[in-house]
Amino acid sequence: MDWQAFVLTLKLASVTTAILLAVAVPLAAVLVLGRGRWLAALEALAALPLVLPPTVLGFFLLVLLGPRTAIGRGITVLLGHPLAFSFGGLVVGSVIYSLPFAVQPLVAGFAAVDPALVDAARLLGAGPPRLVASLLVPLARRSLLAAAVLSFLHTVGEFGVVLMLGGDIPGATRTLSIVLYNEVENFDYSAAGRTAATLLGLSVVALAAIYLGGRPKRDRRG
Amino acid sequence: MQKRIAHAMAMLVGSLAVLQAMGQTPLRVAAAADLEPVLPPILDQFRQNTGIQAEASFQASAALTTLIQNGAPFDLFLSADMGYPKRLIDAGLADAAGSADSSTPILYAKGTLVLWTRKDAHLPPPSLDLLRSPELKRLAVANPERAPYGRAAVAALTSLKLYDTLKPRIVTAENIAQAAQFVDSGNADAGLISLTSAMTPRLSLSGSYFVIPRDLYPPIEQGAAIVSKTTQRAAVHKLLDYLLSAPVQAQLAKSGLTPVH
Repeated sequence: MDWQAFVLTLKLASVTTAILLAVAVPLAAVLVLGRGRWLAALEALAALPLVLPPTVLGFFLLVLLGPRTAIGRGITVLLGHPLAFSFGGLVVGSVIYSLPFAVQPLVAGFAAVDPALVDAARLLGAGPPRLVASLLVPLARRSLLAAAVLSFLHTVGEFGVVLMLGGDIPGATRTLSIVLYNEVENFDYSAAGRTAATLLGLSVVALAAIYLGGRPKRDRRG
Repeated sequence: MQKRIAHAMAMLVGSLAVLQAMGQTPLRVAAAADLEPVLPPILDQFRQNTGIQAEASFQASAALTTLIQNGAPFDLFLSADMGYPKRLIDAGLADAAGSADSSTPILYAKGTLVLWTRKDAHLPPPSLDLLRSPELKRLAVANPERAPYGRAAVAALTSLKLYDTLKPRIVTAENIAQAAQFVDSGNADAGLISLTSAMTPRLSLSGSYFVIPRDLYPPIEQGAAIVSKTTQRAAVHKLLDYLLSAPVQAQLAKSGLTPVH
């Protein structure tokens, strides 16, 4: 078991989830509370990473973030190195790749909040930030949990984007899914089995713990 | 509505049956990634000469070996080394029937390792000195654990006593095609790739290459093996003979492979 890759994977998934929630909560709120046809286009755009095969997405990012585009050159000047083959590059890739998994549950959760409550809060003078922080997020906390869990897991299991953008550098871009793939490709099936079993076991335990915490206590719901 | 779906299904099944009736199934060739720029025109000519259709799937030799081990429906395996086809032969899944030694893969070409850079990389032209230069920040290499060209690259760097110095600057690609892509997209400064890739119209336009001296790495001997459960053995032998024929071998030489005779 490659613990360095294990820690790196958890780090990547945590950073990605934190950024995604910070981006997806306001985005989902705009999609649910806003008006106008352009919102449909925005919602479609936010779902787009689901359509592209991950390796294709990774390839586009490799080209877009590389020194042959203005964006890539800007990043290179800013960081001193291209974003590809670095942890930062994987974070950018993962945030885009997992965006729909954070936005979709939040949109569904926010939309399920009783519109009468939203109208009442508005009448009482709550602006959009307050509306989101004090009404939507608390009432849709199960959706927030779902968004966080899905983003985290989707990033842990991410493979194509990392394969295209990572360059397999230990400690920087060699994630568990890459280790697993390497083990399989090198015919080391017993090591691959161990890695996969550890990953699956830990995921089940972590997920069960999260779902247990998020489960409503046996109360009047239903 | 249901009727419509049933109708569409019937059409689909019907057209599949027609497609299947149109001649025999094509030969399926599992081919190493370095053959991607080379093989398709050869297979085209082969079809024109013999009427036998052949289709190739390109992947790293190791990946193809896994596929064949797990029963992928290939007829012929063209590896970028001798080790992978030998492994299949030893496992009883492939053979070299018809050649002098039926337990040794059939050598059909030799590969050449080159150092490739983009012309707009603001680096000195590729050479052994470039490998020693601190200006080289990132060097793309195919995975040495499974790509024969990656193995050759590491061997060459080791012979030059540069491997330990360059190791932190190496980015590992899945196969030589991806190593070339890392450099072509500008994300790596240089790459150790196959001459077959460097000689493609696209890469010869955007970059230049330096042939790594052959005494620095063990020869990249590319071996073929017949997948034993093929049902089209005669056609496979025709294709192998065609590959080894003088005109095709000369064509390989023009594409960056070294002929075997």
